Amino acid sequence: MNDYDPSDSFGPSRRSFLRELGGSVGLLGLASYLQATDAPAVPALVPGKPHFTPRAKRVIFLFMAGGPSHLDMFDPKAALEKFAGKRPDATDLRTERVTGGVLPSAFRFRPGGKSGLPVSDLLPNIRGCADELCVLRSVYATNPNHSPAANFLASGRIDAIHPGIGAWVSYGLGSENANLPGFVSLGGGFGQVGFERSGYLPGQFQATRVAAAEADPEKMIRHLRNPAIGQDDQQRQLDALQSFNRTHAAANGHDPLLEARVRAMETAFRMQSAAGEAFDTRREPQKVRDTYGRGEFARGCLLARRLVERGVRFVQLSLGGWDHHARINSELKKKCDEIDRPIAALLKDLRQRGLLDDTLVVWGGEFGRTPVSENGDGRDHNHYGFTMWLAGGGVKGGFSHGSTDEFGFKAAENPVSVHDLHATILHLLGLDHEKLTYRYSGRDFRLTDVHGRIVNEILA
Amino acid sequence: MRPCLLALSLVSLWPSFLHADDGVDFFEKKVRPVFAEHCYSCHSASAKKEKGGLRLDSTDAIKAGGDSGPVVMPKDEKSLLLQVVAHGADAPAMPPKQKLPEAAIADLRKWVMLGAPLPAAVATRSGIDAVARQFWSFQPAAELAVPGVSDAKWPRQKLDFFILQKLDEQKLEHAPVADRRTLIRRVYFDLIGLPPTFEQVEEFVADRRADAYGKVVEELLASPRFGEKWGRHWLDVARYAEDNSTSESTCKPPRFPYRYRDWVIEAFNADVPFDRFVRLQLAGDLMPGTEPSDYAALGFLGLSPVYHKEPKLSKDVIASIVADEWDERVDVITRGFLGLTVACARCHDHKFDPISAEDYYALAGVMSNTQLAERPLKPNADAAEDALTSVRRDLLDATMRLGYAQEQRRTAQKERKSTAEVDQQIKLFEARVADLRKREKGLDTGPALNVVRDAGTTVNGDDPAWTVVDYRPGTFRNLPVFIRGNPTRPGKEVPRRFLEVLASGEPRPFRKGSGRLELAEAITTDARSLTARVIVNRTWGWVFGRYLVNTPSNFGALGERPSHPELLDDLAARFIAKNWSMKWLVRELVTSATYQQSSRHIEKFAAVDPDDRWMWRAPRKRLELEAWRDATLQVSGQLNLAGGGPSENLDDLRSKHRTVFGKVSRERPADIHRLFDLPDPRGHGEKREVTTTPVQQLYFLNSPFVRQASVKLANSASEGRTGEDVAIELFRRVLLREPTTAELATAMRLVQPMNEGSTPAWELLAQTLLASNEFLFLN
Repeated sequence: MNDYDPSDSFGPSRRSFLRELGGSVGLLGLASYLQATDAPAVPALVPGKPHFTPRAKRVIFLFMAGGPSHLDMFDPKAALEKFAGKRPDATDLRTERVTGGVLPSAFRFRPGGKSGLPVSDLLPNIRGCADELCVLRSVYATNPNHSPAANFLASGRIDAIHPGIGAWVSYGLGSENANLPGFVSLGGGFGQVGFERSGYLPGQFQATRVAAAEADPEKMIRHLRNPAIGQDDQQRQLDALQSFNRTHAAANGHDPLLEARVRAMETAFRMQSAAGEAFDTRREPQKVRDTYGRGEFARGCLLARRLVERGVRFVQLSLGGWDHHARINSELKKKCDEIDRPIAALLKDLRQRGLLDDTLVVWGGEFGRTPVSENGDGRDHNHYGFTMWLAGGGVKGGFSHGSTDEFGFKAAENPVSVHDLHATILHLLGLDHEKLTYRYSGRDFRLTDVHGRIVNEILA
Repeated sequence: MRPCLLALSLVSLWPSFLHADDGVDFFEKKVRPVFAEHCYSCHSASAKKEKGGLRLDSTDAIKAGGDSGPVVMPKDEKSLLLQVVAHGADAPAMPPKQKLPEAAIADLRKWVMLGAPLPAAVATRSGIDAVARQFWSFQPAAELAVPGVSDAKWPRQKLDFFILQKLDEQKLEHAPVADRRTLIRRVYFDLIGLPPTFEQVEEFVADRRADAYGKVVEELLASPRFGEKWGRHWLDVARYAEDNSTSESTCKPPRFPYRYRDWVIEAFNADVPFDRFVRLQLAGDLMPGTEPSDYAALGFLGLSPVYHKEPKLSKDVIASIVADEWDERVDVITRGFLGLTVACARCHDHKFDPISAEDYYALAGVMSNTQLAERPLKPNADAAEDALTSVRRDLLDATMRLGYAQEQRRTAQKERKSTAEVDQQIKLFEARVADLRKREKGLDTGPALNVVRDAGTTVNGDDPAWTVVDYRPGTFRNLPVFIRGNPTRPGKEVPRRFLEVLASGEPRPFRKGSGRLELAEAITTDARSLTARVIVNRTWGWVFGRYLVNTPSNFGALGERPSHPELLDDLAARFIAKNWSMKWLVRELVTSATYQQSSRHIEKFAAVDPDDRWMWRAPRKRLELEAWRDATLQVSGQLNLAGGGPSENLDDLRSKHRTVFGKVSRERPADIHRLFDLPDPRGHGEKREVTTTPVQQLYFLNSPFVRQASVKLANSASEGRTGEDVAIELFRRVLLREPTTAELATAMRLVQPMNEGSTPAWELLAQTLLASNEFLFLN
């Protein structure tokens, strides 16, 4: 069946290659890391080629699990004051839970940067970077519950079966560093699993999970070090192992399947020290660490910069705790304090190092929150309209796109679906979301299913 | 979707969907859903009694009108349809009980005034195109005569003739028989998933009797370990797992998943004929004389993934979640048993295979009458099962309602509003919960099985604030085609029935309950040739590591064609003739000359056939994760062969049972499941991919599991031995052979103590051998 699209520059080779997987060899495992020049014997495989010139080469996805309140951070609405405590008849503000009257934001919005993009007092440092931000105020999703909505943001589907965007990007572009995984997931907690999943894509495209709560790389990456064997002994052990393996391979016709594992073993050995270096934020100068601030999320941001700097393609950093059904003013303040400095530091650091031009930073939750109150002083889930922002690689800075209705409840002007967001992220990476497909169960699957429109208006 | 896909599409039921003009689209979006929801119950093919001779479920019927004449006159305000829905004085009021919403009436008017556009009439499908039925996998499989070959002395089984014939054609040569060490290790792993001991290898090598190999095969087939290895193969197909992707109140983990796993293992050991194996798993509850313990087979469906259904969500949202659940079940049944990707036809007719959207909804309809349930493990448990299932369901609902009311109360308190009304509700729900708890206690809550039962399933949105799923035992329903897969856009209703292309003759609507038993029977009778081909091909792949059809769950147009079609057909036909005996089939394969070849490499053959598609040698395989882990436990003296019952956590170092008895999770997969290519159990696993990544190798280098095994292995091998004897013992235990002189020297250099007088580091050598390619791969 000839269903290859000739304009798909890497479709056929990639697909036929993947298809042969089961029958021939585990060569695929090599694809994402066998870029190093010291890889003989096995045919070199270019892991991924973009469909067209990319604007961004790497992604840092900051996922705020639980649904941060766009109305208190990025989407000022005068009507909330006007209707404070009331339930305006004209608009249906119903969501899944019991809600009361309109709850005005307790936080003042002020213009930031030269662009004057408004950001609330909850995020003074991020406001200082307003000129880097491309704020999408009209994002909408389909499901008001955390798990399905997080799956939707991760994979474009509400079920827990499909690969997440990081796996798709990894599949499409591979890694730039032979000694590090191409897709790293930092932080844990709710919703992260959906982002890490490779689904029906081969297992090598799943995220390597790292516990950012730890400072020591050995505790961050499972099985990174062997506490019982010193480095010298392990080197000797590897030498003996590879000597046995060489004899075995020679007696077995130098099967690529066997060679692939020999290579992988060497890479793993090198990864122990390469990852030990890359994942160790303690190696940063104190001054830099101070700029990012303290805490797990701050370390995650700094780590994200170290990783993209070393060629990791996709860094997923999640932070839970945004589900403010009650006491939103005090709780949201705490959360924002946790992210404000680190994210601002990340943006500035990337800019200073010249990395922001081709690194795309994405910020947002699985949905936003309601203009009406819940439990008197909280806000309910709201997937009808909320804010996400992008920064860096190929998007306009100091720019806002789309808007919600008068109350900040539903996406009104220039709505951006999650599929549109996915299509746009892939586009920035040089990937055509309609061509990045994987054949599974008799169908060519896409991240964007049968949807997705590139939001051209935000492209720089 | 690539544009050229459309050009290839086969018979399209509703061609207008692909290029819908506005009018037809308007009909589909706005008018048909109104008909379906409010009118079909009296005016469709499936109506109990067709009222007024009128049907509104097809283009022809709408055009034809009813006993009162034409129901729609294009662009005419006086159309009967518009009169009746207006509930005016001069015409009967329709629907008789309740007037349609104003918006719906306006849509009907708009549609009539547009000229009442309708999709093109569809010729009744008087049968699938004869050409479609000619596709290779839909042909009956028949035994074939042995083909002529170059060397009639080589074959040991009939299948070898077919293999050799292809080798002759391709100008390739079969390999010589494997040496006995290789052969016994291979057949042990392939049949029981464990290596032989060094002593067993030696004994076999020394046994020169002609039937030595055959005896080993019989022993292994009779071993209880056989089911533990082969049951796991099936569990991939059945996407066996013990929980759901999430674990909210409506998708809590099932309580007795392992009873299905244990049943599968036992079924392989008992060599339950495969056709019966299929029927028990789909419809054991509907078959006469099913033993209480065989109800465990229903776990195939009873452990299906369940997604959270928050009652506060709208009917539409819940309906789509429920439809997703049915879809997954249709998928596992059709890909798993039939090798057909029927789920592709959920949104439109299959683009490549002769499977219509109607076929899909005919099967989804069976699932819409099948409810996940718990059944006490005892004879005659039907009533107990019904009571248990209903009470549990009601209890869940009452508990959720109570929780929500309590939340409302808190909100009201904070907002300083009256709680009187909600307090009333709370009282009511509390009483209900208490009552249900009491009733639950009175029921049989002993050992139980996760099964399914027949019950019509509907999403009930009567209360817009609380959507529930209703299950009605004894009431069955057909599904309409969901236009473009959207449950809020019901199209024509389809009777529950088998796939048209596989049915012998016109597919008859299923009459018995959900239709599960009829479906199971159709799979093993009408579709027997395909079903047999699919399982024979899977078995071939599980034995040889490569498949005759390299897309084992897709025998459709986009699947691959068999490398050896005659072999597959002949084997499938003989498999049926041998009463679908899996052990017969496995024996046939492993006693063949093809299987017993060596895996020797020949450059010029590899250049022609790098994938070994033509079997010019035995394929090299990486041990599957279960075999590798079990072997590591065995050679380090840790393996505990007791098994069955509740699962162990595989990431726990104390877990020493066979890996098949470890917990398989959809929510939190174990390390080794994630790392070593267990197919994601959220859906059917077609086959195991073999990926090789550095992160996997870190596991061999550093994981506590491998380290623990190395230490245990080193300790036990060095007990009572010193020097080279220990190294030799380690080679014997792990690699089942003596080291060469060079290897021994390398080994001794590795373990040499750093300081004079300390003990050699045997665990370094033990781990090296456990991490070696020779241990991980099977020749």
